[in-house]
Amino acid sequence: MVEPGGEEVRPLLDSAHNDCPQRKALPALCDPRRLAHRLLVLAFMCFLGFGSYFCYDNPAALQTQVQRDMKVNTATFMALYAWYSWPNVVLCFFGGFLIDRVFGIRLGTVIFSSFVCVGQVIFAMGALFNAFWLMEAGRFVFGIGGESLAVAQNAYAVSWFKGKELNLVFGLQLSMARIGSTVNMNIMGWIYSRVQDLLGSTGHSTLGFTLMIGGVTCIFSLICALILAYLDKRAEKILCKEQGKTGEVIKLTDVKDFSLSLWLIFIICVCYYAAVFPFIGLGKVFFIEKFKFSSQEASAINSIVYIISAPMSPVFGFLVDKLGRNIIWVMFAVVATLASHIMLAFTFWNPWIAMCMLGVAYSLLACALWPMVAFVVPEHQLGTAYGFMQSIQNLGLAIIAIAAGTILDSRGYLFLEVFFSACICLSLIAVVMLYFVNHLTGGDLNWSAKKREKLQKLAAAEKEI
Amino acid sequence: MVRGGRALLAGLWLLASVSCLRGAAAGYRRKVTLQSVPGSNSSSANLLHVRAVGRNNTLHYVWSSIGAPTVLLLYTRSESSALRVNWTKLLSASPAGAIWIEPPGSVVYSTAVVFTKVFEYNGANVSALSKGQEEPFYAPYDLAGFSWQSVNHTVNQTALTAKFQGVDTSDPGGAFHNGTISFQVTAYEQGGRDGPLPRLLHTANSSKVEFIMDNVAPRGNSSRFMLEVVTVEEKGGRKRLQSVRSIDDEYTPTIFEMAQLVSEPRNDSIGPSFFQWKTTAYGSREASRENAIRCRYHPLQTANRTLPGPSIAHAYFGEGLDRSHHIAAINISFGGEDGEVYAEKGYLSWSALLGFGTPPKDAFSPLVMAIVVVALGTPVVLLLVGGLVVLFARRKRRSQYEPIN
Repeated sequence: MVEPGGEEVRPLLDSAHNDCPQRKALPALCDPRRLAHRLLVLAFMCFLGFGSYFCYDNPAALQTQVQRDMKVNTATFMALYAWYSWPNVVLCFFGGFLIDRVFGIRLGTVIFSSFVCVGQVIFAMGALFNAFWLMEAGRFVFGIGGESLAVAQNAYAVSWFKGKELNLVFGLQLSMARIGSTVNMNIMGWIYSRVQDLLGSTGHSTLGFTLMIGGVTCIFSLICALILAYLDKRAEKILCKEQGKTGEVIKLTDVKDFSLSLWLIFIICVCYYAAVFPFIGLGKVFFIEKFKFSSQEASAINSIVYIISAPMSPVFGFLVDKLGRNIIWVMFAVVATLASHIMLAFTFWNPWIAMCMLGVAYSLLACALWPMVAFVVPEHQLGTAYGFMQSIQNLGLAIIAIAAGTILDSRGYLFLEVFFSACICLSLIAVVMLYFVNHLTGGDLNWSAKKREKLQKLAAAEKEI
Repeated sequence: MVRGGRALLAGLWLLASVSCLRGAAAGYRRKVTLQSVPGSNSSSANLLHVRAVGRNNTLHYVWSSIGAPTVLLLYTRSESSALRVNWTKLLSASPAGAIWIEPPGSVVYSTAVVFTKVFEYNGANVSALSKGQEEPFYAPYDLAGFSWQSVNHTVNQTALTAKFQGVDTSDPGGAFHNGTISFQVTAYEQGGRDGPLPRLLHTANSSKVEFIMDNVAPRGNSSRFMLEVVTVEEKGGRKRLQSVRSIDDEYTPTIFEMAQLVSEPRNDSIGPSFFQWKTTAYGSREASRENAIRCRYHPLQTANRTLPGPSIAHAYFGEGLDRSHHIAAINISFGGEDGEVYAEKGYLSWSALLGFGTPPKDAFSPLVMAIVVVALGTPVVLLLVGGLVVLFARRKRRSQYEPIN
């Protein structure tokens, strides 16, 4: 799953025209110029992504139930995640284009939300009719909507909060996404057991009804999309502003100009996320079997990464902004993640230690890694670079998800953890190489924020001369 | 060319030494024969003799379906010790002394494992269990009262396997209309690891027994089964229940626990005897992770246990078995609170290893070790090399500046 807000969305020029007719004063909550109204909009914006994040990890929350009721092995189970990722290998390049040129942000958001809803309903129908291929199809449709919805969400944020509280808004959206995942992890098992009591037995129809109930969150998000569309339209009339845009320009030919540093960043990204998300997808059974956790405890610890990430992301974002030295932070995060995977693999130590470490490291990495792209790519290629990064991240996730399932079925969790550790090591190798490449080429990736500021001023001064 | 040849030679040598090492690790070979002991007319009276001859000693495993399914494990300090059976006595009401080893003095250590009963209970309702209500048990199947097919035609001399297959003769509920309970026996000539799950590691001093329930109709919607295993141990030593938790689940995916009954260590070279199993059963002929059935064991019962007859343990150890020997019993149940794996396929298979010596223990596979070493080593090496390069580059740059100064 891509970081919401991780993609740098460049703000539009403020396009409030001066010849806009003055209107009579509105109550604060209804006036688009007032903070109160913007906060209301922010609330809808945050809940816009809630449904898709809630349902993304439905399979992880119900792993044992899905595998038992649908009678599938782990590799097939993990295909549910892979099917989510496949469309996004391509769509990452077009999400911005579709919003800017084809649908517009309002219609685009509603369409993507509908895709998410329909996808989840198909997913649940697949369980109801005991047809696993239908579930996979559902995840595919869900994937088409899910990732582009995150792009649309960012575009909304930029259009409403540009130049004001934008970073905070991105942080809040990210937190909301994590809350969605967390709630899902901890509540789906309970819903399943309620439905089971109601129907009197386990089985594919129990699973289907449970997923249908999970789908309610998607409907809720769709309603948010509709309300947002209305409010945005209304604000456009009142403020005479233009419809928001992602401003993304994708030129695939830019790829050949990508620097070595950028490619190394891609490697770090793919290898790192491949060792975190598929692990969480398969984690619940691991904690039950290896550490003798109850089902609820396992759900709780499996969601701790998201729980930690929710409050820590804004904090780390602020810290990295203030201190600079991104490579050191990334290296630190990767080493901490490696340590936690090794702890999980080779010890019986309380897994809460390792998982909390993983949560902190993951939040730190997200905050330090994504902004680095902006340092190594000229601004006009930024859209392509971010699109490419998301695309190969999705490709990596899809492939590794299936590989992880196969490894688990044939060789067990120790081998799986060793495999994830190896992925993290690959990521670490790329970080180390990035450090030296940056050092030798005199790049600015590892400067402190102070030095960066100084040099920026110097450059500005030179320009003036 | 010469260099290439040398590298090839070195590689071959390495390969050879590795395979030598592996051969050594597999331990020595025993000469194993597995045969049905002739002499009875009744098909149910099966006696299967596994004779494993090693250096200066012989192991005898005597499997039988006379009475409750039983295996005698006898360690003799002679390469020529032989099993003797008095069939008329064995099939009589008092079989004591019907089975013995010639010469009698060669037996150093003897122990037995008896599979007495299969219980069936309703195990679905967790809430009822947690409220302290008694699990509702159905009438147990007494394996001593089963009718067993002749083991003769199931003996495979090359694979060293044989199968005891039985049905309940009384069978009031018709559960065994199509169903059978069987014990599949495998003997080993040398150390190694099974191919199919749970891929138990075995030594030349051990044998495997696989408990299989095939199509036995469950009597309830959420029936669970439980096997009672009784061990007979000499007075001096008693069996202890150990749980060996391992981080290594690469041979039996997602199973991190090995349970074992181990007798107290002895002073002689034989070591203890053991009975070990991974805490999992499988619900399909093709065992795989998705048809795994949770397997739990209950505390070892040692106080006032008796071994109900008849069985060949009584025939070997004598009628006063309960007083002269330590009897310990353990219940092993299959199926957790959720999951109706057995109800779906009507198949359950559970494997256990029994033998002499310290129980085998899994170790990391070379592949895991190799990945760990390479994966962790590369970044470190890279860090060192990169550091040197940067240091070198800096010094070079400084030396270029010097003339200007």
